[in-house]
Amino acid sequence: MYLIKKNDVKKIAKALEEKYTLYGPYLDEAFGQCFFDKVSADNIDLNAPIPANPPKHVVFPHLETIMQYKYDKNAKKADIAMVFDDVPKALFGLRSCDLTGLQCIDRFFLGQEFVDEVYRHHRSRMFIVANTCVVPFKQCFCVCTDSGPAAQEGYDLNLTDLGDSYLLEVGSEKGKAFIESFNFPKATQEHVTQKQKLVEKSITMFEDIATESKAWVSRVMNRVTTGFIKEEVWEYIGNQCIECGACSYVCPTCTCFNINDANTIAGNTERLRTWDSCSYEGYSRMAGGHNPRKPIEDRRNKRFFCKLSYSQSKKYLRPGCVGCGRCAWVCPGDIGLPNVVTYIRREIHE
Amino acid sequence: MSEQKIVTVPEIATIEEIKDEIVDVKTFYLRFDNKEIDGNFTFKSGQFIMCTVFGAGEFAVSLPPSPENDRFHITVRRIGKVTNALHDLQVGDKVGIRGPFGNGFPFEEIKGKNVIYVAGGIGLIPLRSSIVHVLQHRNDFGRILLLYGSRSPQDLMYQYMLEQWQKIEGFETFITVDNGTPEWKGNVGIITTLFDKVEIPVENTVAFVCGPPVMFNAVIKELMQRGIKDDMIISTLERHMKCGVGKCQHCAIGRTLVCTDGPVYTYRQIKTLGEQI
Ligand SMILES: Cc1cc2nc3c(=O)[nH]c(=O)nc-3n(C[C@H](O)[C@H](O)[C@H](O)COP(=O)(O)OP(=O)(O)OC[C@H]3O[C@@H](n4cnc5c(N)ncnc54)[C@H](O)[C@@H]3O)c2cc1C
Ligand code: SF4
Ligand code: SF4
Ligand code: SF4
Ligand code: FES
Repeated sequence: MYLIKKNDVKKIAKALEEKYTLYGPYLDEAFGQCFFDKVSADNIDLNAPIPANPPKHVVFPHLETIMQYKYDKNAKKADIAMVFDDVPKALFGLRSCDLTGLQCIDRFFLGQEFVDEVYRHHRSRMFIVANTCVVPFKQCFCVCTDSGPAAQEGYDLNLTDLGDSYLLEVGSEKGKAFIESFNFPKATQEHVTQKQKLVEKSITMFEDIATESKAWVSRVMNRVTTGFIKEEVWEYIGNQCIECGACSYVCPTCTCFNINDANTIAGNTERLRTWDSCSYEGYSRMAGGHNPRKPIEDRRNKRFFCKLSYSQSKKYLRPGCVGCGRCAWVCPGDIGLPNVVTYIRREIHE
Repeated sequence: MSEQKIVTVPEIATIEEIKDEIVDVKTFYLRFDNKEIDGNFTFKSGQFIMCTVFGAGEFAVSLPPSPENDRFHITVRRIGKVTNALHDLQVGDKVGIRGPFGNGFPFEEIKGKNVIYVAGGIGLIPLRSSIVHVLQHRNDFGRILLLYGSRSPQDLMYQYMLEQWQKIEGFETFITVDNGTPEWKGNVGIITTLFDKVEIPVENTVAFVCGPPVMFNAVIKELMQRGIKDDMIISTLERHMKCGVGKCQHCAIGRTLVCTDGPVYTYRQIKTLGEQI
């Protein structure tokens, strides 16, 4: 644990930049919005608001070639090769909700019977620097989903803005090895207490600042799991949805994908993996046209089952939602997760 | 024998023979190019594979052969981009194969029981493997019945097989078509009409049902009315599939994934999935 000067943050980013492709939050001047993407150490902005996009695309790109092959029809010869991304990447300034989101995706792609090798390659050789939220944003509700505002685990380094300096915590052997050479001054117990106070204060601020969403999910999870939600509630929610897929795309934990083989002009074929969304009508439609999930509410409640059912969380050890509030931001039908939770809670209380 | 599961990179196989079945349905006999795989590729009846048609894509397909000594093959209906491309291939062409995936039929649990197969149209494809297996282990089972229906005589799958099966003593086969032709001498009527003409065992009986959703629902009703228990009705479900290993989520149905938890389900399970089949 170290106490570092504000300017030292940039030093760390610069050092990482030499070994890794650097990703972090930066303020896009044109949009006036924060994005999380490839960035130079100079442009990282740790004070920028929560990025519009989660870091999911770094490990699970929107569109990625996972396999390549060439089939020579005359010679009857096929050459197949998996395509892996070995580039070392550093994620800098991850907020706790997004770090938890990444862990959700880890459990899903790596922690089950079949390990996704393509994902594993992205994820290995990765360095993670987290950033504690000392002030929440309007749409945040990580306190309701046990994913913030301070990261508990899964980082190599964690930064907390103590006002005039940063508390730098080490979370892994890799982080320790990396930071040792800097000879930063050690932090004291007092600084740790200071951080704890700041985090506690941050939590109390949700009441006043995080005003856009409150999503008290635990009772709702019980309700969703036991299936006692009235048809009308799902129907109402379904009717609000215009099937744009935006909620899935901005969600740090949504991972559904499609696979397509695309032929290139060069004569080989790329097996492409692309993001998909369970809200699309074609998602479950089978060859021949039969679609078991025809009614919109059948498709729409899938997303909320995935985020809010115990049977899901038993598999992945936590709810599928990390409280970032992005789906509420982007949904034109006003059925972001917090609203859905509210509709269901309202039904419980009626 | 070591079990070979091909998860990510498809193994190359050669099409050795193509047989026309009915309009738009062909059987492709395949052999793995890699000798080691060819000798060791084992699967359980009821499992499926993902088949790559090079340049077109990949699709899920059942394994109709018995796991023991049948020639390795798939039977495919031409219906979309990938299956069209497969139908255009010739003997000697290559395809890619991943698998086997899924759970398979519960043969151990049903030993000693009577077995009824109820199939509609190309629903006979996924059941073929089980039928051949059960016939090969005739002494492990009680009565064995097949109720099979298709739209017309031309739509009957595996006609050469059906002829053989009809001659096997102790294999009670009943075939019907929705619409007959002047040449058709057999039963005419939808598959449920067979239920009143056949003496169906109820006690100690397991039923395998596979066919289009309309037929499935009608058959389930008949079986239940006769007193066959919901956990003694077995079916294979179909879903849009992309990965085959529980990652893409296209095959999610209720709380299960057809590719890893299925495709074989009992009707008792199907009832609790909370979704259409
Ligand atoms: C476990 C299992 C076992 C199976 N066994 C067999 C078998 O033994 N034999 C057999 O013949 N079949 C079998 N099938 C079915 C087979 O997998 C499908 O018929 C096959 O996937 C069709 O592939 P295709 O590419 O030819 O058709 P597709 O191109 O996938 O068929 C077209 C369908 O794709 C969808 N679609 C196409 N374009 C779009 C678009 N732009 N947007 C959205 N949706 C679109 C539509 O639903 C359309 O109906 C099985 C399926 C499963 C899951
Ligand atoms: S949801 Fe929590 S962790 Fe995420 S940005 Fe808001 S306060 Fe920070
Ligand atoms: S469901 Fe909504 S609030 Fe929850 S993690 Fe996904 S985008 Fe964020
Ligand atoms: S963002 Fe809203 S409207 Fe769009 S698919 Fe998601 S729930 Fe439906
Ligand atoms: S086919 Fe991808 S999850 Fe089942």
